Amino acid sequence: MTPATQRRLAEEFRAILGDDAVISSPDERRVYECDALTTHHRAMPDLVVLPGSTDQVAAVVRRCAAEDIPIVPRGAGTGLSGGAIPVRGGVLIVLTRMNRVLDVDVANRTATVEAGCVNLDINRAVMPRGFFFAPDPASQQASTIGGNVAENAGGPHCLKYGATTNHVLGARVVLPDGEIAAFGNRLADRPGYDLIGVFVGSEGTLGICTEVTVRLLPLPQAVKTILAVFRTIEDASNAVSAIIARGIVPVALEMIDQETTRAVEAYAKAGYPLDARAVLLIELEGLNAEIATEAVEVETACRAHACLDLKVAGTEAERTLLWKGRKSAAGAFGRMTRNYYHQDAVVPRTKLAAVLREIAAIGEQYGVRVPNVFHAGDGNIHPLLCYDARVPGEFERAMAAGDEIMRCCIRAGGTVSGEHGIGIEKRDYLRLMYTEEDLGAMRRIQQVLDPRGRCNPGKIFPDAQHAEGGA
Amino acid sequence: MRDARTVTRSVEALRDVLGADTVLMGDGTAAYRLGGNQPAAVVRPADEADVSRVLAVAFRDGLGVVPWGGGAHQCLGRLPSRYDVALDLCRLNRVVAYEPADMTATVQAGIRLADLQQRLGASGQFWPLDPPLADRATVGGIVAAGLAGPLRCRYGTVRDLVLGVRVAHADGTLTTAGSRVVKNATAYDLTKLYAGSYGTLGVLLEVTLRLQPQPVEERGWCLAGATIEQCHAAALRILGSHLAPNRLELLDTACAERCGISAGASAVVSFAGGREAVRDQGDSLGSVAEERGLRVTEIENPDRVWRALQDFPWPVGDAGRSGAVVAWRGSVLPSDGGKAMQGVRDAASGCGEVAVAGTASHGVLRGTLRASTADLAARGVSALRAALAALGGFLVVTDAPEALRASLDVWGPMPPEVTWMRQIRSAFDAKAILNPGRFIDAI
Repeated sequence: MTPATQRRLAEEFRAILGDDAVISSPDERRVYECDALTTHHRAMPDLVVLPGSTDQVAAVVRRCAAEDIPIVPRGAGTGLSGGAIPVRGGVLIVLTRMNRVLDVDVANRTATVEAGCVNLDINRAVMPRGFFFAPDPASQQASTIGGNVAENAGGPHCLKYGATTNHVLGARVVLPDGEIAAFGNRLADRPGYDLIGVFVGSEGTLGICTEVTVRLLPLPQAVKTILAVFRTIEDASNAVSAIIARGIVPVALEMIDQETTRAVEAYAKAGYPLDARAVLLIELEGLNAEIATEAVEVETACRAHACLDLKVAGTEAERTLLWKGRKSAAGAFGRMTRNYYHQDAVVPRTKLAAVLREIAAIGEQYGVRVPNVFHAGDGNIHPLLCYDARVPGEFERAMAAGDEIMRCCIRAGGTVSGEHGIGIEKRDYLRLMYTEEDLGAMRRIQQVLDPRGRCNPGKIFPDAQHAEGGA
Repeated sequence: MRDARTVTRSVEALRDVLGADTVLMGDGTAAYRLGGNQPAAVVRPADEADVSRVLAVAFRDGLGVVPWGGGAHQCLGRLPSRYDVALDLCRLNRVVAYEPADMTATVQAGIRLADLQQRLGASGQFWPLDPPLADRATVGGIVAAGLAGPLRCRYGTVRDLVLGVRVAHADGTLTTAGSRVVKNATAYDLTKLYAGSYGTLGVLLEVTLRLQPQPVEERGWCLAGATIEQCHAAALRILGSHLAPNRLELLDTACAERCGISAGASAVVSFAGGREAVRDQGDSLGSVAEERGLRVTEIENPDRVWRALQDFPWPVGDAGRSGAVVAWRGSVLPSDGGKAMQGVRDAASGCGEVAVAGTASHGVLRGTLRASTADLAARGVSALRAALAALGGFLVVTDAPEALRASLDVWGPMPPEVTWMRQIRSAFDAKAILNPGRFIDAI
């Protein structure tokens, strides 16, 4: 964008949105040059706007359409695949001011919120009324529902309840030409193609959602949280398979390895053992009678795989503490390593032990530490590649090890993202999973909704990166 | 240019390539009639390469192709506007991959649901979908038509239970979407698009399914009252509580009778899981029922009831020589379910008789309308549709005598998003050869 265009558009946007909703100075724009993916690429938006309503979003998008300028939606900027990085510049549309809960309908078990509403704020609004919103990404204290929809965010509780896509009924969407559309709504089985189903997970490339209607679930009668301690990662992995194979579907089944438990214990004091190679955090949710039986099954499965110790949280305080350890993991990464690259992949649950062995071997081969804290129950691993950016070669080795790990997951029959999305991070890996024809079918949807490729350009598709400038 | 001679030439060419065992012409095609149209050929491909070849030829020559599973639900949608080839997937019926400990299975689209469930049952698992006519229905057909049954209350629908698909597109291109693992966030989730698309975007070849453990025990109860609205109120109460029914169906008296329940308007609820959990939940129904003035009894022959309820509104039965029975489904907000069920009964008066069931959790209704003449049936459909529209809902005709089906507005008013749907259809099938005219907006 030329400086003249930038000045002119800034003026126009100030007229539409108000002075405080347009950011044009380079210093202030720099904050927006990346999201939570810091290892790959940075790019400054030409302008940043913070609209307060769907109509304002549409007005901005229409202006950008008329000028053929890229638009990039952004929520809280917690995305880990670079989805909110404006790799081709353009106007960054930040939705955090649109954060209202518009409607909670207890009889129909739905809530409608603005896209910038923080995930946890939905729960704050509905829990006092006996309901909850199931998707619980680790970022839920900060991430917005719009971002959750864009990335099809997951979280520990996906195991039983499914990811964001399973809980979104409809969305109000500003299309790349500025038209306002409604995809899906609260009526079940509407005739026609499932447009909201495709929109969720489309990473802001098909339009900008401004309102989302989600499904709520009644709070369970009881919750039981169990910490199981294992001598080896292999034993813990096999216990995971054994629990699933017994027909138990916990709400969460998380594995935390030794390096992570040690880092977490240093400040969260969750009561994790320091001498065990892996712990499983297992949560059961449901009716009293149901989880009592399931807890016995879980214990049997763990014991059958040489579980060293098993601790059941007796009180809500103990439960919160066990989870504090898990939820502090991301914060503990900074203690474990100077820099890190946080990966995301899924493998079949039965391949977990073998894949984790292979990942350890890859780490050794490249001289990269790879601690792992992840959603074991659905085979969703999160290897953390540790490096020190000051040491020449370490970054490159970490990235090379990361590449090997992705290939290993694909070989095991898995996928290169379980919940972080593709963004700019994983574009090259899509070809390992999908043929050109497979990607071509996806492109057809993009061609219908964004024929000029102006909406979050450069994301998802592997051929998208050639038009970019240097990092 | 498609004319009778081109069609014949095309299918003969196909027969020459694929063999007379795979491409049936003449008498063999009679069982595939739809609305008086008999296809020029029935193709039964042996593998996906065959499917690709058939479609490539059909696309080149503009033949109308109707994908065919068990044939159980060919009554759905409008009659195809062009129908030259029935693409019968009965030979693509293998389980491609099944690892019980992963709780996933990849199967070919032509496998019958009943056969699949039997196979999974041996490992204590099942695919938790209970669509109507499950003995004949195939997995591909169920996914393509987005069918579900009462179990959706607990397990969701096709969009929640399919992880990935392999598809043959109109021009014969083969693609994969989704994955074979339980969690996936890689690019556009086209599996959602194919589910419920009536085969208009591609022919399903393989489907990867999310499975569930079979519950140890299952018991059912009937809450009966004077009005359907009373039953509905109780159902909402259950759904907002910690109870976790796997079925919760509302039945008007006529539907209840068909399902072997002679208690009048009823809410039928089942719980599944461990013995204690099932018992405890059953026990807690007493207070819910009492609050609403309902009688609660345990259902004695639950399997028979589930079966009838799952198939309802099929078989639609017969209304005599001059009469007509129309099957329909509709949808309203769950909170309006009781009102809607009463509303359609009232709306039908003067046209015919309605029997209706509703899935309380989703506000989804299904029913029959029996009328003494075809004209009255058509008027009845409009009246029912208007009653549901008044509540913000919609109605779709799911079965009707062929003559009536050709003239009825099967799908009703189009959703506003139809503009994009039309474009998506032509982006995937520029010549509209797959199930032409069948889906909404005749796309």
